[in-house]
Amino acid sequence: MLVKAGRIAEDSFTPVADGEELPDAPVIVSLKRFLAEHDSILARRQPLGVRLESGESPQELQPYLSELAVVVLHIPAFRDGRAFSAARLLRTRLGYGNEIRLTGHFLLDQIAFYTRVGVDAFDVAPNISVADIQTALHEISDVYQPSVDGRVTIRDLRTRRTTVPPS
Amino acid sequence: MYRYDEFDARLVHERAEQFRGQVARRLAGELTEDEFKPLRLMNGLYLQLHSYMLRIAIPYGTLNARQLRKLAFIARKFDRGYGHFTTRQNLQLHWARLPDVPDMLLELAEVEMHCLQTSGNCVRNITADPFAGAAADEIEDPRILSEILRQWSTLHPEFSFLPRKFKIAVSGSSADRAAIMVHDIGIEILRNARGEIGYRVFVGGGLGRTPFIGHEIGSFVPKSDILAFLEAVMRVYNESGRRDNIHKARIKILVHQIGIEEMRRRVENEFAEIKKTGVLQLPQTEMTRIAAYFAPPNFATLSPANADFEAAKRDNRDFANWVKTNIHAHKIPGYAIATISLKAIGETPGDCSSDEMDGIADIMDAFGQAEIRVTHEQNLVLPHMREADLFALWQRLAALNLATANYGLVTDIIACPGLDYCDLANARSIPIATAIAKRFADLERQHDLGELKIKISGCINACGHHHVGHIGILGVDRKGVENYQILLGGSGAEDASLGEILGPGFDREGIVDAVENVIDTYKNLRSDSERFLDTYRRVGAQPFKERLYAR
Amino acid sequence: MPQVLTANRLVVGEVVYWNGARGWVPRLQDAEVLADSEAESTLARAAEWVQKREVVAPYLFDVRLEHGVVMPVKVREAIRAAGPTVRLDLGKQSV
Repeated sequence: MLVKAGRIAEDSFTPVADGEELPDAPVIVSLKRFLAEHDSILARRQPLGVRLESGESPQELQPYLSELAVVVLHIPAFRDGRAFSAARLLRTRLGYGNEIRLTGHFLLDQIAFYTRVGVDAFDVAPNISVADIQTALHEISDVYQPSVDGRVTIRDLRTRRTTVPPS
Repeated sequence: MYRYDEFDARLVHERAEQFRGQVARRLAGELTEDEFKPLRLMNGLYLQLHSYMLRIAIPYGTLNARQLRKLAFIARKFDRGYGHFTTRQNLQLHWARLPDVPDMLLELAEVEMHCLQTSGNCVRNITADPFAGAAADEIEDPRILSEILRQWSTLHPEFSFLPRKFKIAVSGSSADRAAIMVHDIGIEILRNARGEIGYRVFVGGGLGRTPFIGHEIGSFVPKSDILAFLEAVMRVYNESGRRDNIHKARIKILVHQIGIEEMRRRVENEFAEIKKTGVLQLPQTEMTRIAAYFAPPNFATLSPANADFEAAKRDNRDFANWVKTNIHAHKIPGYAIATISLKAIGETPGDCSSDEMDGIADIMDAFGQAEIRVTHEQNLVLPHMREADLFALWQRLAALNLATANYGLVTDIIACPGLDYCDLANARSIPIATAIAKRFADLERQHDLGELKIKISGCINACGHHHVGHIGILGVDRKGVENYQILLGGSGAEDASLGEILGPGFDREGIVDAVENVIDTYKNLRSDSERFLDTYRRVGAQPFKERLYAR
Repeated sequence: MPQVLTANRLVVGEVVYWNGARGWVPRLQDAEVLADSEAESTLARAAEWVQKREVVAPYLFDVRLEHGVVMPVKVREAIRAAGPTVRLDLGKQSV
């Protein structure tokens, strides 16, 4: 089930395995396939998604990012935290503005962190509801660190505060 | 010390409530143990040998009396009336129950404490010199930076699922009282040629299965750049640290594999990128704001020589002995740094009962001590005692059996909980520590031996820091039987070195004799008042091997 | 080698042992000693108890029988069955 911007979203993309024929529809292909066949794939003029495995660098997509509708980050195991850096890299230095979708093994309790670093769509297990996600996103009100989401940090809030802090 | 404002307070309260929700989901079956485990670990809750263990964060080892009393209360109400101070300046409670933990977290939140990130693959408790703010050689109080790093690393969105745990330590002077050279990141505060204060950053130190001394990666990082610089290190590690093998996942392995030059290149590239954005620049106003929390107390103008103090030492041999080891010079005349040893002969090193904690809190109030520090050697420090009060302090400590006069001596042993408590252990460490302490209990003998740091770990994870003991002892499982290897010549100070294994291990019966033989060998070989460590470095392992193994 | 199945209670963390007839028991002496042939299947069935949120982390460990007394082969399990050797007032040994 795809969740985007706080609600269940239609998933119009079909993931296609390497070697399988591409249907005439929006597809998601592996990085490997995309790099090998990018001319023909881009020529299709269908919305396109590329899937990165953990350890594959978004740098490799840099020349093509404006052509991509979705970058899928696949998480093999929730302990693998490389996608946090990958999402961040895509949003900041690589300037990617379209959908970053998380798929694979991640915890409800990681969604708040992933959201902060720029992931905006989640392929969640059926037992996770939109309400669960909303709760998870708001459990901790304030954040110490600046991140991709541009959220006001505790330091900003302190600077804005006009009253003297409790001692 | 740092005091929470409404934002810090809200965060730890919300965190406690978040964990309450997670526990409820676990007990209702909505989370499997596999899914729950990382969540409970990030709140410091382990499943140990006998029970759950809760590790409470004590940021840079600093506590006030109110917090100490709360720890006593929590240990009494929810645990078995005692806690264990660790080599990372934290407190462990060994008998927690899962449904109690949210209430324990709420109690902690009431006194500005928490268990955040005391486990898990994230940045752990930032540790610092326990003599902070008092030592004469201090360039700047390391807790200022430590508090800034604590906030920067708490619930960091990008770095909460690192390849492995990440430990940072900060020293405020060139003397290393925080073991920075054996941390993932070690930071030394120093002045450059222009007199500006900045940071020397070391990376890739660590103990455990593959110990390493850290390498310098930044010779002088300006204060305003430190967060950007550390983010760069963390990002390189998060992206490139190994995730295929839990034993090869620390940053020290990455540094070892690619080399410090390549590591430096990658970090500097990333650092340059971060600096372009300016987002992590640390403004002087923020440093000044945090520094204000660590402003020194109002010191009185006292004469450096206190007649009563001198008389007390003359008249009371036991007091004089305690002063000799447990008192260190303070930067302000008439003040002193007092170490409370948690190494009473025959007692578990680092353990402290609720009654003792309450007693110490009363002592803090009696002597106007706003703070107490936990050291990475499992002792406590009152940093700003008046010399004039030391005799009265000692008397009160003695009444609580907390006046053991052995700081830095052979019976001031560091020991992890070991196989008596820990699920990871291969051998017991505490009874070895107590047996050695009993063997060397005679104070005169201890003074004769001088500074001698024995550190004992019950397994290769090295929580007892055995690699940096002058004498290190590693407990292993040898065909189902506990066996103890001796390492010599380690140091966790600024002269950092890793201990060398002497030879085959000893069983429980033999290890204490073996340690005594090592120490006797030192005595026979030392020149003048050479420390054990210096004698070892001068003569090498050979004489010790001969004594222990030649037949 | 005879084995015993052990785990920790989810809620209180207490060490428990499997006794087919009586379920999870706190004392090692009351545990069922499993022959090689049945140990693995007993461990597999423990998954059910994990699923029911009774226990976590079940595993088998080696024991020997000395005059009918169940003795763990490894020191670790002996300590786990009794309590910390340095605090005889704590753990199962104190009850």
